[in-house]
Amino acid sequence: MTAAAGARSGHPGRFRLLATALAGRPLGVEDAPGGDGPYTDGVNVFVSPGVAADDQRRQVVLQAALLGAGSLDAPVARALRGRPKVARRYLAVEGRRVLADLAPRLPSLALALAVDGPVVSTGVEESLALASGRARLPEPPAWFGRIRPGRLLGTAAAGPGSPPTPSDLRAALALTPEAEAGEDDDESGEESKLLKLFQNPLAKSNALSEFLGRLLGMSRTPAPGPGASGGDLATAAARRVGAVGPDARPLPVPLSLTGDEAPGPAGVGGALYPEWDVHKARYRPEWCRVLEIPLGPAADVAAGAVERDQVLHRRLARLGLGPKVLRRRPDGDDLDVDALIDLAVDLRAGHSPAEHVYLERRKLARNLGVLVLLDASGSATDLDPAGRSVHEHQRRAAVTLAATLEELGDRVAVYGFRSRGRSAVEMLAVKPFGHRFGAGGRAHLHRLAPAGYTRLGAAVRHAGEVLKAQAGTPNRLLVVLSDGFPFDDGYESRYAEADARKALEEVRGDGVACLCLSIGAPTPTESLDRVFGSASHASAPVLSDLSPRMDELFLGALKELAVPNPAARRNAVRFPSAGW
Amino acid sequence: MGVPRPVEADLAAPFYRPVGDEVEVFLAAARRGLPVLLKGPTGCGKTRFVEAMAHRLGRGLVTVAGHEDLTSADLVGRFLLKGGETVWVDGPLTRAVRDGAICYLDEVVEARQDTTVVIHPLTDHRRQLPVDRLGIVLDAEPGFQLVISYNPGYQSVLKDLKDSTRQRFVAIELGFPPPDVETDVVAHEAEVDRDTAAALVAVGQAIRNLAASPLREVASTRALILAGSMAAAGLSLRRAVQSAVVDILSDDPDLAAALGELVDAVLPR
Repeated sequence: MTAAAGARSGHPGRFRLLATALAGRPLGVEDAPGGDGPYTDGVNVFVSPGVAADDQRRQVVLQAALLGAGSLDAPVARALRGRPKVARRYLAVEGRRVLADLAPRLPSLALALAVDGPVVSTGVEESLALASGRARLPEPPAWFGRIRPGRLLGTAAAGPGSPPTPSDLRAALALTPEAEAGEDDDESGEESKLLKLFQNPLAKSNALSEFLGRLLGMSRTPAPGPGASGGDLATAAARRVGAVGPDARPLPVPLSLTGDEAPGPAGVGGALYPEWDVHKARYRPEWCRVLEIPLGPAADVAAGAVERDQVLHRRLARLGLGPKVLRRRPDGDDLDVDALIDLAVDLRAGHSPAEHVYLERRKLARNLGVLVLLDASGSATDLDPAGRSVHEHQRRAAVTLAATLEELGDRVAVYGFRSRGRSAVEMLAVKPFGHRFGAGGRAHLHRLAPAGYTRLGAAVRHAGEVLKAQAGTPNRLLVVLSDGFPFDDGYESRYAEADARKALEEVRGDGVACLCLSIGAPTPTESLDRVFGSASHASAPVLSDLSPRMDELFLGALKELAVPNPAARRNAVRFPSAGW
Repeated sequence: MGVPRPVEADLAAPFYRPVGDEVEVFLAAARRGLPVLLKGPTGCGKTRFVEAMAHRLGRGLVTVAGHEDLTSADLVGRFLLKGGETVWVDGPLTRAVRDGAICYLDEVVEARQDTTVVIHPLTDHRRQLPVDRLGIVLDAEPGFQLVISYNPGYQSVLKDLKDSTRQRFVAIELGFPPPDVETDVVAHEAEVDRDTAAALVAVGQAIRNLAASPLREVASTRALILAGSMAAAGLSLRRAVQSAVVDILSDDPDLAAALGELVDAVLPR
């Protein structure tokens, strides 16, 4: 962070709070692409790159103040669209007016913001009328920049944090069109059996059945249109949907790869997982096939050395999640009667032992199950300056973390993942929950060669299921070691990032804490933010950089589960037909 | 452990400038001995408000700061070993119950939930404090009143008051005072002139009104008073704001720089 901050000290982003305060809405400040003069699109202010900070500051102040004064609202922008000359005259008049209004509020900038020329307008409408007229107006100074109505109108509707437009709301309410359900008759049998008795299959008119239907109130259907015969009453009422709605999450469908007729190696398992399609804003059910592959006995156990990290050990040892009663403490809430009796006996016998006679309740109980999910894909092969690949960094981090946690008595599992398309996401069970993390498992981890691609979402979903089913502890934590760069066949950029983020949200919604660590990877922070979303995440060149605050990271991730989570309740709407 | 002493009632009245009708609400609750829940952001004057009310009512005040290891024994009392025997020592809550004082539990959500349950019998019609370890039930003296404070949306979103606890209280919502009142408060507390105080309040307002603020917290009245005190002690106003507001609100150098730009623009040079 320090190096990055140093590099950004000249970045115009430091004016963003000033701009936000003046505009009264969240506003970013960026260098204008291509050295274009200052302008704003309503979401960002673009300043001239490379000019003095004072210049940039007043550029930002003017543009933000224009936004704050409503001078660039949609009606104005529409009026200025395609009329660059009028826009320029408007900027000259309105800019002076806004600055004059602002000057008393910003006493320290009054000098920098001083412009010659009188203020000739008292409001937006008047400025607009003046600009459209023929009167001579002073030219705007260069730092006023220009107004780009097209940009303003383009982002006005879609900017982050902007209120939803009527069209957004309509889209949210639109019902998903449903195909006719073929088989689930019990749900869609809308025709009244009794009414059928009164239907006349011969007569063309269905007036009688309509009349009876209305009279008896038994028909749930509106009157059929002309041409429909009495024997074919159309049904068009609301039904329970048979397919998954956009917000309901399909459950994983377990695969049975082995059976009586085809016995295979023990431990092979898998499931079909849904995937989130951000473009259509709905799940694709049973989309990814995840296979869990156990690793056999390691051939060479010599490679299983573990780097010790004392800081990490100390930090994680302090992690306490539940209260535990400690006996014979020097201070505490209650008297420890056994200790008190011993003390009394000792005192009578002439000894004077230390007065450790209290019971103390401290948060020391752990009950923690951790699954370390390691990215074993080819995207982790990039080398760092020291010649170590990202994969090597992550692998070492996984070994150290798993060994440390196991020493501290937590339940640990280590899985690697890689993928080749959606039908082959492999979960390599380096160390399942039931096993010891012995030399064999360590050797496996060391010999894990990166291959394939990164379908992060499916791997996270499967890891969540493994944790829920096998951890057996009340506190469950998923540690994802990845470079934060999901990529696979048909799984790229925005789609992949959205799916990974969704998968993490689901897992957290199900009561599994998530911590995403990016070790040794050059992925920029913004990208990590997009992939990991609101899940706790941290990145560092090596694990030992994170060790001093690993307890905070763990606690931060786990504490989130202590709060009732509205998102979890929403996600609890499940796909009805695909249960375990 | 140290047992908090009641604040002496004969000191000079604590400075408190009412903003709305909070004083009337508190006095009405005090007349009937009803427990009060004070809500409001950190540093908006909750503690000062309770001090002022205790002074006005002429009652003692026992303050307990909540922390996450606060146990019921810390509130009620415990046996301590003295010489060869065990001696009972009243906790702050028991002391307030016996003396008829106002007991102010600051940031009570920080405490463990099993601790907050101790106050339940005190907050309904019973007004009793069962002391299990002594096997007695204490009836609260007439002047006894329980006041707790609570920061909604503070870092302890992780913790929340249980509904069964919440519904026993009369709530008073305190916010940051309006600019003119806040200017008075800052000028009085920091001992600076009104212009300086007004400039500080302008900074506070600018930070509080940021839309979609990236800051976890905003500049509280207390932070502004701190900045004012630093200025009164001879520091330049800009430097005082930097040390008492900007560097406090953010550890992120990027964000601190952005905040510095905002402060620069608002403060008179």
